[in-house]
Amino acid sequence: MSTRKSERIMNLAICLLMARRFIEKTQIRQVVEGYHDLSDAAFERTFERDKDELRAMGVPVETGSNNPLFPDEVGYRIRRKDFELPAIEFTPSETAALGLAATVWESATQAEQAVSALAKLRAAGVDPDPGRLGALAPSIGAREPAFASIWAATLERAPVRFGYRGTPRRVEPWAMTYRRGAWYLLGQDRDRQAPRMFKVARVDAAAERIGKPGSYRVPDVDLEAAWRSLEPRQPDSEAVLALRPGRAPDLRRRGRPVAADGVPAGYEAWAVSYSRAADVVGEICAHGADVVVLSPQRLRRAVVTELSATAGRAS
Amino acid sequence: MTSAEQVNRLLALVPYLQSHPDAELGDTAAVFGVAPAQLLDDLNVLWYCGLPGGMPGDLIEIDMDTVAESGRIRLTNAEYLSRPMRFTPDEAMSLVVALRAVRELAGGHLAEGIDSALAKLERASGAAAAPGPQVRVVSGSEEIREQLADAIDAAEAVDLDYTGAGLAPSTPRVAPVRLITRDGFGYLQAWSLDRAAWRTYRLDRVDAVRRTGEPAGDHGEPPEFGPGWLEQRPDAAEVTLRLKPSAAWITEYHPIRAVRQVRGGIEVDLLVADPAWLRSLLLRLGRDVVSVDPPEAAAGAAESAAEALAAYPAG
Repeated sequence: MSTRKSERIMNLAICLLMARRFIEKTQIRQVVEGYHDLSDAAFERTFERDKDELRAMGVPVETGSNNPLFPDEVGYRIRRKDFELPAIEFTPSETAALGLAATVWESATQAEQAVSALAKLRAAGVDPDPGRLGALAPSIGAREPAFASIWAATLERAPVRFGYRGTPRRVEPWAMTYRRGAWYLLGQDRDRQAPRMFKVARVDAAAERIGKPGSYRVPDVDLEAAWRSLEPRQPDSEAVLALRPGRAPDLRRRGRPVAADGVPAGYEAWAVSYSRAADVVGEICAHGADVVVLSPQRLRRAVVTELSATAGRAS
Repeated sequence: MTSAEQVNRLLALVPYLQSHPDAELGDTAAVFGVAPAQLLDDLNVLWYCGLPGGMPGDLIEIDMDTVAESGRIRLTNAEYLSRPMRFTPDEAMSLVVALRAVRELAGGHLAEGIDSALAKLERASGAAAAPGPQVRVVSGSEEIREQLADAIDAAEAVDLDYTGAGLAPSTPRVAPVRLITRDGFGYLQAWSLDRAAWRTYRLDRVDAVRRTGEPAGDHGEPPEFGPGWLEQRPDAAEVTLRLKPSAAWITEYHPIRAVRQVRGGIEVDLLVADPAWLRSLLLRLGRDVVSVDPPEAAAGAAESAAEALAAYPAG
């Protein structure tokens, strides 16, 4: 970082912000400290770079002409209403929540961004106060190696290329979500010409840009519906299980007591719903002797097969 | 640190120092998430910034002597920069995600405060922002969370109806301290009054909370529950499982120390603090387990499987 450069860009920002009309380059060169001593070519280069840096920071540097008859006489300005954070007021319970937000991110990069946003709110007179929410300490991770590259591409709408479990994919990122400790990306898969969901943990390495920021539009998709596809499926089958009293509350939560034949002594019969046979076999086995399958027969056989394998592993 | 990062901070620092006259150097550095030395650097840059023209009266005024003597900052002559810049897209999205993570742990009136704060932030960020990531944490019911938060505020002990990782139900009496998230799950951190030790309880496994009217008492600070918290438990033992490829899901759902690709599958190193947890994991994995090292670690699951098989008639 060069102090000189920061000074110059800051002075340029103030100059453009104070301008009532578009200011031409020659004028900017005269009044902004740091441009006087440069050669013509060096000034052109430096000015273009500084202007791009301001835009990349989100400063709305506008280009236009004051004279409709000579639209080639290009100048620059920053409109105050586009630049300034609009006035917002928060209630005490809202500021309490905002105060907590500074400590949520485990990823240092994102934590800095959140702190920077809160500093802007404080500069605008808001006073986030986490003291009232001492009981809550939420946190959110971003340990996936590809996280930063995909987060940035999603923000900037830049198409990317990455290996997904070994297969190359080209994607226009639309939106991200965080569920059960994992990040997901929804985007248009350019090769399959259809939207696809990607688990960021399965992206092999940092995503590589294959196009300019803002080079595609995010269509008006139903994000809620897309994220719902990540939820467990609705149950469509039912098993009758014998449960030991007070055991297996996870299975009881999606079941009801029933009358059944062949219930072993010391057990009670419950009808329990499930969606995928493969998952429910594991869930049942995990309870050992606390759960016995009464029906259907297929499920009963599958559980016996798995338990036999585990029982055979006695050392 | 780049010039862009510094200028972005300066554009918030100038309004902040004007709305907080005589701000303390260290406090201000903390608000902006930088070291005091960096903040001094920032002030030295601002010292050379001001209105175009660069005449003495045009420059921002900072009394650097007072900063050096008393650590207090007084900045004047910058009324044209009295409001901070808008959020950058990265700042807005990082803050929104953090608030949504707070929301996932909150209950009742606090949740309402967060919803309204989010709506205000989204309006302030404008249409430039990409659709913000959704955040979902497995944290049980809002009602249970609110009851726990109320008990923490009231410093009152509670009785829980709880189902542990070993799937056995229990009714521990605890002094609740805080609600936290780790790897996509919400937990209660509490001092177990039965065991006189710190414990964590997964919120989605808390079936009921009953206030006791007893004071929670002071038990000091709970241990840090950061990444790798399991490793700090002195009673945790390392177990290595060799698994078929179909069991690769466990690396995404359980804390794993190391994963190795081996012929015909994967090998994972787990830290096991609770034998009941390993027993139910091995029972769940069934035939996907190729071998367990040390072999005696498989004994509990084998015994439990044999006991379960006895409930099924032979054949």
